[in-house]
Amino acid sequence: MVPVSYYLVLSAILFSLGALGVLIRRNSLVIFMSIELMLNAANLAFVAFTRVHETFSGQIFVFFVMAVAAAEVAVGLALIVAIYRSRQSVDIDQLSSLKG
Amino acid sequence: MTITDFSVILPVTLLTAWASILLLAELFLPRAQRPFLALLAALGLALTLGISLAQSAQEFAPGFGGMVVRDGFSNFLNVLFLLTGLFGVALSYRYNQRAQIERGEYYPLLLFSVAGMMLMGQAADLIVVFLALELLSFPLYILSAFAYPRPQSEEAGLKYFLLGAFASGFVVYGIALTFGASGSTDLARIVASVAAGSANLPLLTAGAGLLLVGFGFKVAAVPFHMWTPDVYQGAPTSVTAFMAAGAKTAGFAALLRVFGAAFPALAADLSPLMAILAAVTMLFGNLIAVAQTDMKRMLAYSSIAQAGYLLMAFAPFEIEAARTMAVAGALFYLLAYTLASFGSWGVVIALEKDLDRHLSIGDFAGLARRSPWLAAAMTVFMLSLTGLPPTLGLVGKIYLFRAVIEGGMVWLAVIGALTSVVSAFYYLRIVVNMFMREGEPAVEREWWLEFAIGAAAVVTVVVSLWPFPLFEWAEWAVMKLF
Amino acid sequence: MDASQIIFFLSAALILVSALFVVTARNLVHAALWLIATLFGVAVLYVLLEAGFLAVVQVVVYIGAIAILFIFAVMLTRRDLLSQSSQTNANWPVALGVSALSLAAIAFIARGFGFSLDRPLAPVPTDSLERLGQALVSPQQFVLPFEVASVLLVAALVGAVYVAMNKK
Repeated sequence: MVPVSYYLVLSAILFSLGALGVLIRRNSLVIFMSIELMLNAANLAFVAFTRVHETFSGQIFVFFVMAVAAAEVAVGLALIVAIYRSRQSVDIDQLSSLKG
Repeated sequence: MTITDFSVILPVTLLTAWASILLLAELFLPRAQRPFLALLAALGLALTLGISLAQSAQEFAPGFGGMVVRDGFSNFLNVLFLLTGLFGVALSYRYNQRAQIERGEYYPLLLFSVAGMMLMGQAADLIVVFLALELLSFPLYILSAFAYPRPQSEEAGLKYFLLGAFASGFVVYGIALTFGASGSTDLARIVASVAAGSANLPLLTAGAGLLLVGFGFKVAAVPFHMWTPDVYQGAPTSVTAFMAAGAKTAGFAALLRVFGAAFPALAADLSPLMAILAAVTMLFGNLIAVAQTDMKRMLAYSSIAQAGYLLMAFAPFEIEAARTMAVAGALFYLLAYTLASFGSWGVVIALEKDLDRHLSIGDFAGLARRSPWLAAAMTVFMLSLTGLPPTLGLVGKIYLFRAVIEGGMVWLAVIGALTSVVSAFYYLRIVVNMFMREGEPAVEREWWLEFAIGAAAVVTVVVSLWPFPLFEWAEWAVMKLF
Repeated sequence: MDASQIIFFLSAALILVSALFVVTARNLVHAALWLIATLFGVAVLYVLLEAGFLAVVQVVVYIGAIAILFIFAVMLTRRDLLSQSSQTNANWPVALGVSALSLAAIAFIARGFGFSLDRPLAPVPTDSLERLGQALVSPQQFVLPFEVASVLLVAALVGAVYVAMNKK
């Protein structure tokens, strides 16, 4: 069997990779994909902890996180596509009309 | 399911149902009757406010198996959030017509957001904290982008969205670690497991730290503040006003609930961190605000600085008496901040005749001659944000500083006082501009807007002269929290 | 090493490699496809953790809906698909440092804890899916979050429709 700590280490690495993606990438779509990686890391930790604590409330939390993620994608991609329509770019560094 | 369950969530339920009906009402209203929607939204908020006030005398009650509670804390915040909603509607009413964003979706989204905030104040389980956070945030992302295809508004929406989603990543991971450490997401059970010694403290600390990062983004604390100026400047001003007061209060509601109730065991680890966070936020927010010439950006940095003062409330957590006073002080200060923030954004809306031009601080020149009452009200708000008499801001700051000093953190109170002096420079510069400089500002005359500004100014002054009942209410509100 | 460990290490490798490619890929379509691979790896781990229902939801919602929406969005914004400009912003060294630091912090804290968990796990009851479903609608358990989630979906739907609508 696989020790639960392995899952936790994997989830920590996945979370850090996602955070790295958010911080270094400029394309807002990739930033958003990296956020999904972070959420998946959290979900993985939840399911692993659920297995340890022998209660399924962690699994239910994952269920809600998935529902929220779906809603988030609907809102986020609508915003990104709307920006692209008027700007022809989804590069976050080129959104500079607010700087100064 | 019992009657108590329903009565606990009655205000939130009513508001949500009202928002859904409002969504349908737009279908049946002819285009010319659109302004009527604002009135309907205000009616819904007022009704809910009435119910919340009527419930305020009732005792502590948990609902839905401990998912939510009704206590003094949630009652105080419910009233505050509903006032926020009412102010938001009053400021939006004519502004949206001018900005040509008078769409039927606006008010339902605003009401959904208020419902999320109220749920945040009532949450007793981290699942509800998370869902309430998202429920209040999603409408705000959309409202920030509401004036699309105006590029600034679109960008504000996207930036707020990406940073908000990033922050909720931290919140979810923090909740996961907390769950791992204690075996539950229920705040009461987390406390119990800490007390029983079965919780894993290092992991709980890590979870609390990640939660702090996530909510730090929401309340715009340094170093998680970088989205704030862009979003506040780009979003429609009516939305900014709502967001600056509501989202910040809700973020602090979550922080107070989670850290105030659930993590006293971690206070020794976390309170130095909180003190440093508060100090950095006060210093950075105030110093950058001095350099701003754009009015909206200046108010954005000012709101960052105000988050710093509020964060002071988390510093003296190791000492029992100081802790209670600090949380009561934070609630009191949140009320003072809400009034002053709404008031000053309202004045910005009144002066923002040309929506494509950025309002600068120089545009306030001559306002005292052109419109003396507006200038007087603005002076009150600036004094309140600085913390000068005769305003609620001063009273709030005194309570917060006293709690911090009693908590043994004199250095933090000194930084707070010094940065308040710095903040006087940029707040009073506006007052000087209004009264001493010549100029011809263009002022929009709008009845609802003026009413909201006037009410905020009058309450800020009058209540500060006799603040004791309000403070008793705040102290009563936190009584059950510990 | 038994079968479950082999499956774990294979999926862990799949997850980490494809997540790395999501973060670094220049081509956005590739990034989206790597994202699907990551999500699939996570679904496999859910099965391994005996959370079969979540594995199915992961495949249906995450891969079937979310990832596919991402591919749609990539196609709709295709001018950036292969942009020649740099894909990373100027402060990537700082970001790398922050991420590495946070990873180290989490790992350090989890270290003292994680291995204390490595005891044999109790078997999952066979009616767990049934209990999950009942918990979601039981007033004493999760019916309130369930309803809040539905309100959240309505708000998101209204918002997304509003933003996606062409104003002209």
